Amino acid sequence: MQEYKRIDISRDDVLPLAERMKKEGRFLVMIHGMINKEGQPDVSWDYAVDPVVESYHVVGETSFPSIGAVYAEAATWPERELNELFGFSFEGLDTSKRLFLPEDMLETQGRGQIMVTPLKELVEKNVGEVNP
Amino acid sequence: MSYIIPIGPYHPALEEPVHARLYTEGEVIRDAEVFVGYNHRGIEKLATERNAIQTLVLVERVCGICSHSHAFTYALCVEELNGVEVPKRGEYIRVITAELERLHSHFLWLGIACHIIGHDSMFMHIWDERELVMDILEELTGNRVNYAMCTVGGARRDVSDDLRRRILEACDKLKAPLDRITEIALTDKTIAMRTKNVGVLTREDALKLGAVGPHARASGVDIDVRRDAPYSAYGDFEFDVPVVESGDVFARVVVRALECYESIKIIRQALENLPEGPINLGAKLTKIKAGQTVKRHEAPRGQLSYMLVGDNSFNNYRISIHVPSYKNTPTVPHMLRGNTVADAGLIIASIDPCFSCLDR
Repeated sequence: MQEYKRIDISRDDVLPLAERMKKEGRFLVMIHGMINKEGQPDVSWDYAVDPVVESYHVVGETSFPSIGAVYAEAATWPERELNELFGFSFEGLDTSKRLFLPEDMLETQGRGQIMVTPLKELVEKNVGEVNP
Repeated sequence: MSYIIPIGPYHPALEEPVHARLYTEGEVIRDAEVFVGYNHRGIEKLATERNAIQTLVLVERVCGICSHSHAFTYALCVEELNGVEVPKRGEYIRVITAELERLHSHFLWLGIACHIIGHDSMFMHIWDERELVMDILEELTGNRVNYAMCTVGGARRDVSDDLRRRILEACDKLKAPLDRITEIALTDKTIAMRTKNVGVLTREDALKLGAVGPHARASGVDIDVRRDAPYSAYGDFEFDVPVVESGDVFARVVVRALECYESIKIIRQALENLPEGPINLGAKLTKIKAGQTVKRHEAPRGQLSYMLVGDNSFNNYRISIHVPSYKNTPTVPHMLRGNTVADAGLIIASIDPCFSCLDR
């Protein structure tokens, strides 16, 4: 049955790890990112070591080596996503073209976090407008 | 003469918005780029404001074709974090729904592929047979799409003995048309001329680019999450994983046609050995325990992965959804190179893309 295993690493381990995984024929499930409960950036590289997903986490960093040279677009798409939506940077990643964001957002607003209005605030705002 | 031909994001030949830019030399595509993001609905962000039951409803709306796959994978994540053991009967019903979903999805794609190459009689024949699967899904779940069959801790609707018998009969009924469709797909000259050696993705490229599902299996990559990392009740069933080496559009047709047989095989085993007992653990809403997990499911188009982070509250702290089209779309420019503009639509469609899923 499927299992999930968390392993913490440093940013310097990211590239050698990817090279080792590639050599072993492992599938890159995904690169995930978030701001954790403590307010720290938490990026994880998840590899399928069937039936286990080995999840290698780097916490507290915002810049990482790109593993695009090892896993090609399987890595560069999630890296570009994390770059556009979280503002994390990946050394060596081509960010000259957008992936998800509108073209003009890169030109006029720079990269990084899109400020999303929390649903609660949005409801309060709309309720306020409808029933002032 | 060199041209840049933009296709989309809104184009009559596209079912969903996506933008492809073809760099051509005469009729031949020298390079291509794909741009996504036109269907982004902020599903992941919305999920952070919802509890587990509300999230099931939400994630089913990621995609109209593989809605059960999304609810199924999300439920697996919550069950893993909360240490919930799902009743066996519930697991079997989830698997039956998942395989019926695969059947209708593959029939749908086979029909669309025939429509794109101008074989409309085949398109109508396949979609006519697909209706049988849709009817079973409607009878089983009450819906033709967004089945709402999955809940945290099991399935939402049971399968009566009468329904079980009728689904088994439908599986028998599907055999003859499926044989006929497979035979036509394998022997028809029109299909062969439009699909053989078109949009080739080599095994090396499929591995390098991380292709998944039937798309990867059509390029000789022998992967299937149901077999390699079993989950739910998949470990209880015997099935084969069809793999074809040629990597062209024809191979993608063949793999999907053969996978329909395997899905029927799984549905039959699940129905014949359906365990007795409850189908779920009740409707009590639970908090999502603190922790993080990743679950994978073999959706009709390939590996679907969900990451869930819980923080001991009712709502999700974070979910991250990555669908098979996210993995397969980057292979499109590689497949387009060296082919003609006339084949571009077919090649893009051959990965069975779902941009609604991809953008989420």
